[in-house]
Amino acid sequence: MNTTIRLLASVTAASAALALSALAAPLSFDFKDPKGVNNVQFSLDAPLEQITGHATGVSGTISFDPANPSATTGRIVVDAATLTVSNAMMKDHLHSAGWLDVAANPQISFEAKGLKNVKTSGDSTTADLTGVLTVKGVAKELTVPVTFTYLPGKLAARVQKMEGDLLVVRADFTINRSDFGIKPGQMTDKVAEEIHLKLSIAGAAPKA
Amino acid sequence: MMKAHPFRRVLQLAAALVFVAALGLWAATGAHRGWTRTQITEMHRDEITGLDYPVTRDSLVAGIDVVAAGSGLAVVLLGASLLVGRPARRAVA
Repeated sequence: MNTTIRLLASVTAASAALALSALAAPLSFDFKDPKGVNNVQFSLDAPLEQITGHATGVSGTISFDPANPSATTGRIVVDAATLTVSNAMMKDHLHSAGWLDVAANPQISFEAKGLKNVKTSGDSTTADLTGVLTVKGVAKELTVPVTFTYLPGKLAARVQKMEGDLLVVRADFTINRSDFGIKPGQMTDKVAEEIHLKLSIAGAAPKA
Repeated sequence: MMKAHPFRRVLQLAAALVFVAALGLWAATGAHRGWTRTQITEMHRDEITGLDYPVTRDSLVAGIDVVAAGSGLAVVLLGASLLVGRPARRAVA
């Protein structure tokens, strides 16, 4: 009798542990966005000219554990061909070999390595995310402030008949174009050295 | 009194029209002080995620380059009008 009870208790404990570990497992969020909402906005404020634009071709995955956000990893990719500004000629210049050379460098990517200063309040987590940003084939490690908003069960509200969670990622930071070999030190009166970037993306983790 | 060459008047009128048209187009499309834009971007908000995202549509917003080009062309036309109808100089032997 005692053996049976012990066996049942062991099985129950093992099942509970398995269920908990499944719950605590990091979720994989896919950032491919058929709705075209995911975007990166950029702005440059030079003495003679202000340039603003955006890119919408965002994809990639982020592994996020709501119970342990500091373990977040992942890679976000921006299709450089989707970078656009309000003037067609300026857009052609931006894509040309002299500037971003989109034909030779079709992707801009950010590889997340780790988080520090993680603070969670409700569904929102703020942190300093360290990762490697690759622009025009030049990779540089940087740390950027980021906000994750975990929206459990909200996928169905966005995609009909699909249960799952959403993860919203926002980041606002500045890079220097010379760090990525984009005409360093040239035409700074019209094209600012500093590029302000604003990332607004949401990923989906459908339930199997 | 010398009568003005009829083509001179046409050029002067054209210069005035070009200048007014360029200025009018610039003013009518919002008197934008930057370069001409061929697209307009408006920000929308996704209700589920709260994310702001850009929606772009084709639209002409004339910039100061249109005013500058119109003014330049008007000056050229005015200059040309001054040359029209002038008696050719005769070479003095």
